[in-house]
Amino acid sequence: MAKKQDRKRKVKDEATNDGASGSDQSDNAEEEEDLLQTVKEPGEDSTDDEGIDQEYQSDSSEDLEFESDEEGNYVGRKGGQQESSDEEEVDEEEEDDDDDDDEEEGGKVEDKPTTSSKAETNNEVAPLPALPARDPSKQEYEDSDTSDEEDIRNTVGNIPMHWYDEYKHIGYDWDGNKIIKPIKGDQIDDFLRKIEDPDFWRTVKDPQTGQEVVLSDADIALIKRINSARIPNAEHEEYEPWIEWFTSEVEKMPIKNVPDHKRSFLPSVSEKKRVSRMVHALKMGWMKTTEEVEREKQQKRGPKFYMLWETDTGREQMRRIHDPVSAPKRDLPGHAESYNPPPEYLFDEKETKQWLKLKDEPHKRKLHFMPQKFKSLREVPAYSRYLRERFLRCLDLYLCPRAKRVKLNIDAEYLIPKLPSPRDLQPFPTVESLVYRGHTDLVRSVSVEPKGEYMVSGSDDKTVKIWEIATGRCIRTIETEDVVRCVAWCPNAKLSIIAVATGSRLLLVNPKVGDKLLIKKTDDLLAEEPSNQDIIDNERIKTAVQWSTAEAAEQEKGVRVIINHFKPIRQVTWHGRGDYLATVMPEGANRSALIHQLSKRRSQIPFSKSKGLIQCVLFHPVKPCFFVATQHNIRIYDLVKQELIKKLLTNSKWISGMSIHPKGDNLLVSTYDKKMLWFDLDLSTKPYQTMRLHRNAVRSVAFHLRYPLFASGSDDQAVIVSHGMVYNDLLQNPLIVPLKKLQTHEKRDDFGVLDVCWHPVQPWVFSTGADCTIRLYT
Amino acid sequence: MDAENGEGQVQVHLKTKQEHYAVPDVPYAIDGTMTTVELNTFLNALLRNKSGDESAIDFDFLVFDEYLRGRLCDHLKEKAISFEDAIEIEYVERFPAPQPQDCLLHDDWVSAVKVSGKWILTGCYDNTLNIWTHKGKHILTIPGHTAPIKAVDWISLDNDIGRFVSSSQDQTVMLWQWNVDSNAVECVSICKGHERGVDSISVSPDATRFATGSWDTMLKVWSAAEDDAGGDAASSKRPKENGVRTPIMTLQGHRESISAVQWIDTSTLLTTSWDHTMKIWDLSLEGIKTEISTNKSIFDASYSNLNRLIVTASADKNLRLYDPRTNQGSIVRNTYLGHNAWVQTVMWSTTEEFLFVSGAYDNQNKLWDCRSPKAPLYDLLGHGEKVLDIDWSNPKYICSGGADNTVRVFKSRKAGVETMDDK
Repeated sequence: MAKKQDRKRKVKDEATNDGASGSDQSDNAEEEEDLLQTVKEPGEDSTDDEGIDQEYQSDSSEDLEFESDEEGNYVGRKGGQQESSDEEEVDEEEEDDDDDDDEEEGGKVEDKPTTSSKAETNNEVAPLPALPARDPSKQEYEDSDTSDEEDIRNTVGNIPMHWYDEYKHIGYDWDGNKIIKPIKGDQIDDFLRKIEDPDFWRTVKDPQTGQEVVLSDADIALIKRINSARIPNAEHEEYEPWIEWFTSEVEKMPIKNVPDHKRSFLPSVSEKKRVSRMVHALKMGWMKTTEEVEREKQQKRGPKFYMLWETDTGREQMRRIHDPVSAPKRDLPGHAESYNPPPEYLFDEKETKQWLKLKDEPHKRKLHFMPQKFKSLREVPAYSRYLRERFLRCLDLYLCPRAKRVKLNIDAEYLIPKLPSPRDLQPFPTVESLVYRGHTDLVRSVSVEPKGEYMVSGSDDKTVKIWEIATGRCIRTIETEDVVRCVAWCPNAKLSIIAVATGSRLLLVNPKVGDKLLIKKTDDLLAEEPSNQDIIDNERIKTAVQWSTAEAAEQEKGVRVIINHFKPIRQVTWHGRGDYLATVMPEGANRSALIHQLSKRRSQIPFSKSKGLIQCVLFHPVKPCFFVATQHNIRIYDLVKQELIKKLLTNSKWISGMSIHPKGDNLLVSTYDKKMLWFDLDLSTKPYQTMRLHRNAVRSVAFHLRYPLFASGSDDQAVIVSHGMVYNDLLQNPLIVPLKKLQTHEKRDDFGVLDVCWHPVQPWVFSTGADCTIRLYT
Repeated sequence: MDAENGEGQVQVHLKTKQEHYAVPDVPYAIDGTMTTVELNTFLNALLRNKSGDESAIDFDFLVFDEYLRGRLCDHLKEKAISFEDAIEIEYVERFPAPQPQDCLLHDDWVSAVKVSGKWILTGCYDNTLNIWTHKGKHILTIPGHTAPIKAVDWISLDNDIGRFVSSSQDQTVMLWQWNVDSNAVECVSICKGHERGVDSISVSPDATRFATGSWDTMLKVWSAAEDDAGGDAASSKRPKENGVRTPIMTLQGHRESISAVQWIDTSTLLTTSWDHTMKIWDLSLEGIKTEISTNKSIFDASYSNLNRLIVTASADKNLRLYDPRTNQGSIVRNTYLGHNAWVQTVMWSTTEEFLFVSGAYDNQNKLWDCRSPKAPLYDLLGHGEKVLDIDWSNPKYICSGGADNTVRVFKSRKAGVETMDDK
C-alpha cells in the first residue's frame, strides 16, 4: 500500500517536474509564498482595473487557445463589468462595491491564467489521457483554489457524459484527438477483478475520462473523516490551546493615551456630498433602494397579483373614521353617587317631591338619579336600567355614527336679508301730525285732491266731509241719505269732482274747493246732459243703473249727478283720466261690477258671468286693463279685447283691497287673513312676496304716486309704512323694506284702521279709523 | 371719584358783552355741579362787590356758544370739553319772560296776525279782517273776501291812514286803505291772478311792492302803490274793471304750494314751499338766486336782517336754522327740538339778534334763543288749539292767532323798556 503511494507520488513528482520548466519546484514554503502572492496581487492591482485587463490581454495574445477556451468566462466577466459600469452611472456607492467585486474578480483572473498555464504544461508533458498521479504530499488544491477545476485532459467540458455513451471516444484531448474509451469488461470481468484485485474496493471510475482511479490511503482517510463528520484535515488540532488574541477582560483605562483625532468626530465633507448626491438620486428616482430593487425583481420574476376590487383601499379609507370624536367627558362622581352617601346628600321629602315632579323634563333635574343609601356594597342591587340603556346606546350608535358633525355657526343676523336702513330711505311718514275730528261714526274712506290741498272723507254717519289738509279744518260737510261706503276724488286735476258711494247711489259731487275756474267748468260740464241718447242701453243695464241729474236741494250741497244702482255700492274707483269710473256691488251677482262713462253718462256691465263675490276693482294706470278681485283670486281683463289676461292666485281666504303701483307692473293686495301680497305682474301669477306685518285683518293698502312707499291699514289699529322700490331694470326684483308702524288709532268694536291713502305729492299718509277720526302721519 | 363724575372744580372766566355788567377778568374756580341759579347768585355777589348795587339781575350763561341749561359738568361732558381747560362763560342778561297780556276773541279761526304800532290786524276763517288795538279793543271788522283769509300784512301806517293787504283762499289779494280817525276802511283794489288760494303775503321794506305766494305754485309781485296806473298800463291787454290789479311779475319755479314769502331787501325775496325747497329770488333778474333743498316740507320761514339766517318750520316738530350764504358743508346750522307737533309758523325778533318765536299745532308758542337748541327760553302758553300764525313785528308784543278763535298777545317787557328808552 505504502509502495503504491510512493509510486504515485513519484509519478506526480515527475509530472510536475516535467512541467516545471517555468515554475518552481514543488516546495511547501514556496507554495505558500505563491498563495500569499495570489492574495497580495489583487490588492496591488485593485488600484488599476485596466492593468488587469492589459495583463490578461497580454496573456491572451500569447495564447490564442486559452483565449478561445476561456472566452465564455471572459465574456461573462466582461458582461458583469459592463453591468457594473452601468450601475456606476447610477450610483457611486455601488460602484465602490463593484470595485471591490472587481478586485475579487481580478484575483480570480490572476489565478486562472496561472492554473491554466499549469494545465497547459501538464498537457504538454502528458498528452496521453492518463490520470496524473496525485502527489499525496501535495495538498489537493495547492495549485488552485477552485473546486470546479476538474481534470481537464478531456476538453468536452462540463457536459453530461452520457452524450458520449454511443461513441467509442469519450471526448477530445487538447490537440483535438479523440480520447478513446478504455475497454470495459463485462460483469464477469468485473466480478473476477473484484475477486482478484485487492484494490478493487478503492477503485473508482472517473466519468470524465473513463479511467479507473485507485484512491490512495489519504483519500480514503479523508472520505472516512468526512463520513464521520469530522474536519477533513487530519492535521487539524481541535483541542489546541486557546490563544487570546483579544483579551476578554474589559480594561478600565484606555489602552491608548492619545486622544481621538479631531477629524474622527468631524463629519466628513466627502461623505456628506456623497450622501446628498444619493439623496438627490433617490428623490429623482435615478437610484432605488434595495427594497425597491428587490420588489421590482420580485415583480419581474414572481407571479403577479392584482386587486380584484379596484376601489378596495378607497372604500376602506372611507369606512374608517378620520376624526374620531371622543365621548363627552362625564362629571366626576360625587358623594351623592356613593352607595353610602352622607345623610345630607340624601333627598328629603321636599327634594324628592321636586325630583319626581320633573318627571317629564328630566334634564331639568339637578341630579339625574336619586341618591340611595345601602348598608354595604353587597346590598346594592343590579342597575335596573342596564338593558334599556345598552339598547338605547346601540340605537345611538346605529343612528348616529360618531362622525364629527360640522356645526355651522350662523348668526341669526346673517340670515336676515341685507336691507337698507330705514334712515337711508327717508322721507317717509314717522309721526302723527294732525287728527281730523268731526265725524261721528267710523270713517270708511278717504281720498285726497290731486293737488294735495284738500281731502274728502266718507263716514258711516252719512256725511261726506271736505277738509283742508294743512290746518285740519273741515271746510264743508255734505249730508247724504245713507252710509257713505266709499269716496274717490277724481284723479284728473282739471276736474273738480268727488265720487261718493252712499247706499245704492253714486253721487258725483263738486266740492267747490280749489280753483274757481275749474269749479265752474266742472259744473258746466255736469249740468248739460249729453244728448246722444240714441244708443240704446239694453235691459240688463237699464235695470241695474239709472243716471239722473241732482235735484235742487242736492245741487245746493254740491251734488251734481246721481247714478242709482240696484244694489248697495261698496266701492268706487276712478280711471286715471277721470272719465270712467267703476263701482262694485258685491250683491249684484253677475252685475257686480259696473263701468260708468262720465262724459256720455253711460254705464256698462263688463262681465256677463259672475266668477265669484267681487270685492274690489281697479283700473290699470297706463294700460286698458281692469283688475277684478273676487274673494280668492284676482283676474286681469283687457278692456279693449274684452278678454281675460291673467289670473292671480292669492292663496288667501278673503281679499280686502288692492292697490297698483303707479308704473302698473306691481300689485299690492291686502287680505282679511292678515297678509299683504305683492304681485309682480310680469313675474308670475303667484305673489312675489307675502308680508305678514299685521296682527289682524288688513283692510287697505295704498301705493304712493311718487315716492317708493306703500302703506297698509289693519284692524290692529296700525298703519305700516313700507318702502317698496320698483326698479326699471327688469332683472332687479322690487325691494321691500317695512319702515314704520304708526299705531295711534283707537280700537273700537274690533275695528282699527279702515282706509289708508297717500298724499299725492308729500310723503304723508292718511288713515281713517273706526274711532271717527282721520289721521295724518308725516 | 369726583373727577369721574365731573364734579370737581372747574376754572372759569366770566365775560360779557354788556359793559355795565362786566366783572374783573380773573379765573374763578367753581364747582362742576353748578347750575344757572348758583352761577347767578355768584355773579350777582361779584357785581355787588364791584358796584355796591343791591338789585339782583338774572343772567343766562353761555358756554361755548350754547346756553347752559343743566349742570355745568354735564354740559361740558356733552360737548366733550376737558375739565382741565379754563372755560369761558359768557353771561347775558336774561331775556325777561313775556307776559300774557290779552286775549282777542274772534268768531272763527284766526289764521293771520300782523302788528304795526299799536294796531293788530288779524285775518279770520270767517272771511273777515279785524283791527284791534294792543289794549285789546276791537276797532273794526272788515268783510270782503269770500273765503278764509290766509295772510295779512301792513303796507304803511301813520296817524291818519293805514294801508294793508290781505290774501285769501278765494284766490284774491285785497288792498285796503283805512282811515284811522274816521275808522272807515275801503278796498282800494282787488288783485286777481292766482289760480288757487293765496297762502302768504309780504310787503317790501320800501312799501312799494308786495309779493304773494299761492297754492298754484306761483310767486307774484304786485305794486302796492295807491293808484296802480303804471302797473296796469304795462301789463293789461283787456279793459280793466275798476280796482282790479294784475301782477307786475309772476315767478314760476316751485313745484308745490308756496308756504311763505319774505322780502330780504327791496329786490330779493325768500320763498319756502311744500316741495321741500327754499328759494331766494332776485327780482331785478326775475330769477332764482339761491335754492336750498331740504327733505321736509317747509310751512314757514323767517329771515333775520340782524344775523342773516333763516329759520324754518316743518311738520316733523323741528325748527331748523339755515345759513343761505354757505354753499358747502351742512346747510342746516342747527335744529331746535321742543315742539310736540307740526310747527306752523315762525318769526325772528326784529330787535334781538338771537331770538325768534314759533307757533305749532301743539297749542304752544315758544320763544327761542338760537344759541339754545335743546330747549326754548320760554313756552308761551294760552292757546287751546292749534296756533296758525305768530307775529313779533312790534318788539313789544308777540301776537299769535290760533284755531281756538283767539289772538293771544304777550308783552315782551324788555323790548318795552328799550323802546321806551329810545323814545
